[in-house]
Amino acid sequence: MRKGMAIAPSPTLPKTPVRKRRPITLTLLVACLLVFGLDALLFRTGLYTSYLEPESSAGLLELILWREKTAQEKAGDNLVVTLGNSRMGFSPKAVDLRPRQTGYTVRNAVVAGSDPRAWYYLLRDLDPTARRYRAIVFGIDDYDDEDHAFNPDDDIRTLHYCIARLRLTDAIDFARSFHSRAFRWEAFRGAVLKGIPLQSDWQAFLAHPLKRIAYVQLCHRGWPEWTYNYEETTRSMAGLQIDWSTFTATYPPGMTDEQKATVHNSLLEPVVPQTGRLDHFLSIWMGRIADRYRGSRTKIIFFRLPRGPIVRPDNLAKKRSSSIRDLASRPNVILANEHFFDSLEHPELFKDALHLNRAGVELFSTMLADEVARILGPSGVPGGPAGK
Amino acid sequence: MLFNTASFFLFLAVVLALFYASPRALRKYILLVASYFFYGCWNYKFIPLLLALTAIDYTAGRWLEKVPPGPRRKMVLILSLCANLGFLGFFKFYNFLGSNLAWVMDKPADAFFLNIVLPLGISFHTFQSMSYVIDVYRGQQQVVRNPIDYAVFICFFPQLVAGPIVRAHTFFHDLFNWQPPSAEDVSRGVLLLTLGLTKKMAFADQFAKVANEYFKNVSGNPGMLTAWSGVVAFGMQIYFDFSGYTDMAIGMAKLLGFHFPVNFRRPYLASSITDFWRRWHISLSSWLRDYLYIPLGGNRHGRWMTYRNLMITMLLGGLWHGASWNFVIWGGYHGALLSGERVLRGDRQIRKDWTWLYPLQAIVTFALVTIGWVFFRAADLPQSLAVLNQMFRGAEGHLLLANWHFELIGIALLLALAEEKLDWFERLLKAPMLAYASALALMLFCIEVFGVIDVKIPFVYFQF
Repeated sequence: MRKGMAIAPSPTLPKTPVRKRRPITLTLLVACLLVFGLDALLFRTGLYTSYLEPESSAGLLELILWREKTAQEKAGDNLVVTLGNSRMGFSPKAVDLRPRQTGYTVRNAVVAGSDPRAWYYLLRDLDPTARRYRAIVFGIDDYDDEDHAFNPDDDIRTLHYCIARLRLTDAIDFARSFHSRAFRWEAFRGAVLKGIPLQSDWQAFLAHPLKRIAYVQLCHRGWPEWTYNYEETTRSMAGLQIDWSTFTATYPPGMTDEQKATVHNSLLEPVVPQTGRLDHFLSIWMGRIADRYRGSRTKIIFFRLPRGPIVRPDNLAKKRSSSIRDLASRPNVILANEHFFDSLEHPELFKDALHLNRAGVELFSTMLADEVARILGPSGVPGGPAGK
Repeated sequence: MLFNTASFFLFLAVVLALFYASPRALRKYILLVASYFFYGCWNYKFIPLLLALTAIDYTAGRWLEKVPPGPRRKMVLILSLCANLGFLGFFKFYNFLGSNLAWVMDKPADAFFLNIVLPLGISFHTFQSMSYVIDVYRGQQQVVRNPIDYAVFICFFPQLVAGPIVRAHTFFHDLFNWQPPSAEDVSRGVLLLTLGLTKKMAFADQFAKVANEYFKNVSGNPGMLTAWSGVVAFGMQIYFDFSGYTDMAIGMAKLLGFHFPVNFRRPYLASSITDFWRRWHISLSSWLRDYLYIPLGGNRHGRWMTYRNLMITMLLGGLWHGASWNFVIWGGYHGALLSGERVLRGDRQIRKDWTWLYPLQAIVTFALVTIGWVFFRAADLPQSLAVLNQMFRGAEGHLLLANWHFELIGIALLLALAEEKLDWFERLLKAPMLAYASALALMLFCIEVFGVIDVKIPFVYFQF
């Protein structure tokens, strides 16, 4: 037996037959292009994204977008939309039921669990011309920036909320908006190959495709009405007391563990060192939203949401910045009176430490609609009810 | 460095680039360094062990060359086998023997316990090395004189940690007569790499999630359907995992100009247990046949000796997988099934053509193999018995597999049947570029939408 690789092949062995070479690099390139093509066909054309699970993050955002786009067609010129997360308990029905109308149609595009980064991508497709709305109303926690334990840059849920809205051209920019390298990679990968973040949705779809299609169709038929008629619970936080010197809460009898958990996780949340990361996050994403509407007729109005059933002492954290107040220097950005909703900060109007209950939502909605109308001035054109 | 990680593909790309950019004389050194680097990435402390095993069998081979046939020659072989089995026995079976000895001597279970880390792939490269020495002893293999060549044979990274167990004549034939891979080899290599990756990430790891969840808490998941689905999930996991790994290993070897034998031939389509072992982990079953079953006498000394030989071979084959009574029972179970088949079949050969009975035979074989997996996967004997109890005597329970898992199984079954009858893999290699690229794209897309991407699930056979 001969040794080493430099030795010529054994004469007993047939030489490798000469075949027409397959250009392997080109083949791999074509294969990659085909993967992108398949991904695009399914997840970028609406072929699949119109059938996302309605109760998933992406499906919820898509349904809201679809509902509001549909509403745009029917609504007149005096259209206002509210945006925020679940704390923005705005009910168009509560506004419509008032005897006196303002002339503005106030719609609700709130997405529970979302953040300004998600609102930016939602708005981009909800209002592509940046001129459809008379005002976009944001409900935010505070006009001053208080950092919490969670880094808003690294909220990877945004990828899942916005996945159907992300374009290929967003991939780098979107990925760079995350802080940690792992999330940046996950966001980039997801924005390029949408099948990855949509894996579990897709697998659930394959498990029961007909059921999913039927459910989505049902949602399209009934969802606007269900959400319009949705009424918050009457449960309240009445009886809740907090001793701020010891950071302990006293709960009235009958309060659920879920309610107590919200108190523990938000009102009693320990103060963390203020690094300015919320300022950075809000400046970027609210700044981008404001930039989109620069020179537009659309006003951007901020409201500070009712802070809670009991308000945390203001001096707990030394807030170093106020990105929202900074934005107010722009011509079409308006800050509503910071204390406008102070009257709602009562345990009787909250269902837990974060969210208003039915009575709270009704008061909040009518107050907000009236204040928006006051800020925008007389509509000139009669506006209709927000409708379903 | 798992085969299904970005770091491994980067490593492979660098190795391929260096390999082909270097002069031919240097290439085996590149393979050697790359292989030791690959092994060292797992645990560099075991590189001396690998070197020692290599040195022992290399020396044994050289020694055998000089010693004429007779007792001294046999002694050299025995010394080499003792060294190999001694290493394997110490690292793999010391604690197993120790705990059993402690039980016999009525001492605490950990009386003889040593905190031993099992070197990666020791069962594979030990068997590979032993086969070389035995073949040299039998005069079936020429002695390798260059230690570098021998070291490359033992540590070649595509098959170092989980096989396939490559025979010396196959490997050295490729090494000494190395030819650049043909266009077909490259096509085959790329297709096998992609297919293996798909099997691992999109199939095996998805079933692994179900099986791991079930076996983590057997008592918390009672019910017949629950137990069967948990065990079937493991059956799917181990097949896709191991055959995926093997496909990748063979594919990588092809890209480097080496030709490894097939290790799996659609084992779940087997019509009998005998047929199953001709399709499952072929490199191990043929090793056991050539170096254990046939030397024991095979089927040459009557029925009872054949049954005995089958049982011994399968018991040791079971024990090769791991040091626990579960593996012994698993091996014994298969030995008993093989013997039972022999009893029923008599001297008739297995029919290779499909008859109307085939679906029933395949289902029964699959069910028997699946029952065997209980011992293979369960943590210990009590857990195995608990699972079997649920499989046969449990209440109804619920399915752990979702519909889409069954859809994956359906796709795999269709592809396996098509491969069995239509040979699609070979056809694909000769197909136009667009068809070949589409097949690659479909596999990659399958990884995209089904692949377990962010959780790294190790290959099952890495533990052996």
